[in-house]
Amino acid sequence: MSRTLKAWAFLAPTFIFVGTFCYWPAIRALEGAFTSWDGVSAPKWIGLKNFYQLFHDSVFLGSFLHLLWWSLIGIPVGMGASLLVALLIYRLDSKRAQYWFRVAFALTLCLPGIVGILTWENFYEIGGVIDTLLSDVGLGRFDTAWLANPHTALGALIFMGFPWVGAFAMLVFYAGLQSIPGEIIDAASVDGISSLRRVWHVELPLIKGQLKVILILSIIGITQNLLPPLLLTGGGPANTTWVPVLYMYENAFQYAQMGYALSIAFILFVVSLVLALVTMRYLRSDNETRRRVA
Amino acid sequence: MTGHNHGNWAVRVPHYFALTVIGVLALFPMWFMAVTGLKNGIQLEQNPFSLAIAQPFGTFYRQAWDYIDGDMLRTVLITAASVVGITVLGMLSAYAFARMEFLGSTVLFYVVFGLLLIPSFLTLIPLFLEVRGMGLIDNPAALILPYIAGGQAFAIFVFRSSIQGIPEEFFEAARIDGATHLRMLLRIAAPLSRPIMIAVGLLNVTAIWGDYVFPSLVLPVSRQTAAMAVGNFQPPPSVPDINVVNLQFAAYTIVSVPIILLFIFFIRYFIAGLATGAVKM
Repeated sequence: MSRTLKAWAFLAPTFIFVGTFCYWPAIRALEGAFTSWDGVSAPKWIGLKNFYQLFHDSVFLGSFLHLLWWSLIGIPVGMGASLLVALLIYRLDSKRAQYWFRVAFALTLCLPGIVGILTWENFYEIGGVIDTLLSDVGLGRFDTAWLANPHTALGALIFMGFPWVGAFAMLVFYAGLQSIPGEIIDAASVDGISSLRRVWHVELPLIKGQLKVILILSIIGITQNLLPPLLLTGGGPANTTWVPVLYMYENAFQYAQMGYALSIAFILFVVSLVLALVTMRYLRSDNETRRRVA
Repeated sequence: MTGHNHGNWAVRVPHYFALTVIGVLALFPMWFMAVTGLKNGIQLEQNPFSLAIAQPFGTFYRQAWDYIDGDMLRTVLITAASVVGITVLGMLSAYAFARMEFLGSTVLFYVVFGLLLIPSFLTLIPLFLEVRGMGLIDNPAALILPYIAGGQAFAIFVFRSSIQGIPEEFFEAARIDGATHLRMLLRIAAPLSRPIMIAVGLLNVTAIWGDYVFPSLVLPVSRQTAAMAVGNFQPPPSVPDINVVNLQFAAYTIVSVPIILLFIFFIRYFIAGLATGAVKM
């Protein structure tokens, strides 16, 4: 018994903190979704009314469509770029070069998120870096404010961050490639398969564990990607860049509709949780795959 | 070295070239920001890629520093307090999960695991109302306390597996000498987990340093963080409009410098920490 008390004493600070600042607000959020609440007076229970209203709210429905596009383009492109760089570094012939390229890409993590976003805002301005580059390569001057044009704003937000290499994802993929046993690579080389086939049939199956983690983190990350639309477009122009998390934020802090905002959070939470669970369920883990190959 | 390209130059040159091009593109925003802070508005309009330098050298950096120095110090203190809190509490819990047998260990571990399923957007609104109810608005504690809580799950997972990897003999010797758990944590587990503590600390520093949304809800502009200062940039009236953007980029650079220095100092640990292959499912 005293052993248990001792261990609980070690754990108590953590549990006091996460109870107060993680679990309690999460529970409040889930129950708040079923209330009408301005954040000041007492919340009033209204059942499913918020959800009923959401499914007739064209801004909300549009925001989910934008998130769908953003995910379908952004996640494969981001993971693909990170994987490509990880593979290129892993295949370098010198350990020293491998190390320094990893350092170079890790340095991109130093740019605070908000600074990166504001820098890209400048790139998109009329006569900015994007316009200048396009006219330099002979595509002519577009002279458009990419983020203020309803035809280009959402695309510009999705394109932001080119070449989309996520340093964290890249280092995780690289660690996975590194841990592939040499015998498996040797066996593949003896069989004389081509480089591309080796990636597809040997290396990718063996880093499925890493691909899975990054895919789940990307799904969760993209649903809570609030800062770019909040800072750069605010949902405009002509409502073309709303995403659910921004609509939630504006409802809560601009329109004081806490209950309505929390019902958006509720739906987004359920959707991202289901997607994450489906991913975990349907991508075989690399331990199982390794057993199959060996 | 199995399986690497020992190929001829026809393979090696494009290989290095491709990586270099992608690397330059990925690092370009950092370069652009530092250089744009050195030129003035007219030089930027003429050619955003030029290397022009406005006279006197570094004038916008000096003005930006005067604008942001107080916020920088405040952000350093908030970040340091949060990361120390995350590490200390995380190590205590990780040690308990890794080395102690107790009632409820499985259930409590699932409680920590469940934290990974709570996204930050879900708690944002109630958390804001909660710290407001606690009377913490305008107080840095409104940031530090939630940051410490939010960093626990990831830190505990990584620290726990690091402590589990320490050979039993280390602890056995200490136990014979009659060392308490707290002593073994301080003398054995913590020193041997230093690289992974640094890697996790660094990831937390970057996340907290660049956080904008929650700080802007709970802190006033008069006591803002560095990320808020660049997000809500209010140029001093003495700067002509055309040069405001250069002043902004100088401020962006200054805000990034502490993180760059930390990374350069600790990059070895960071790369090594992530190279252990611990992050997978």
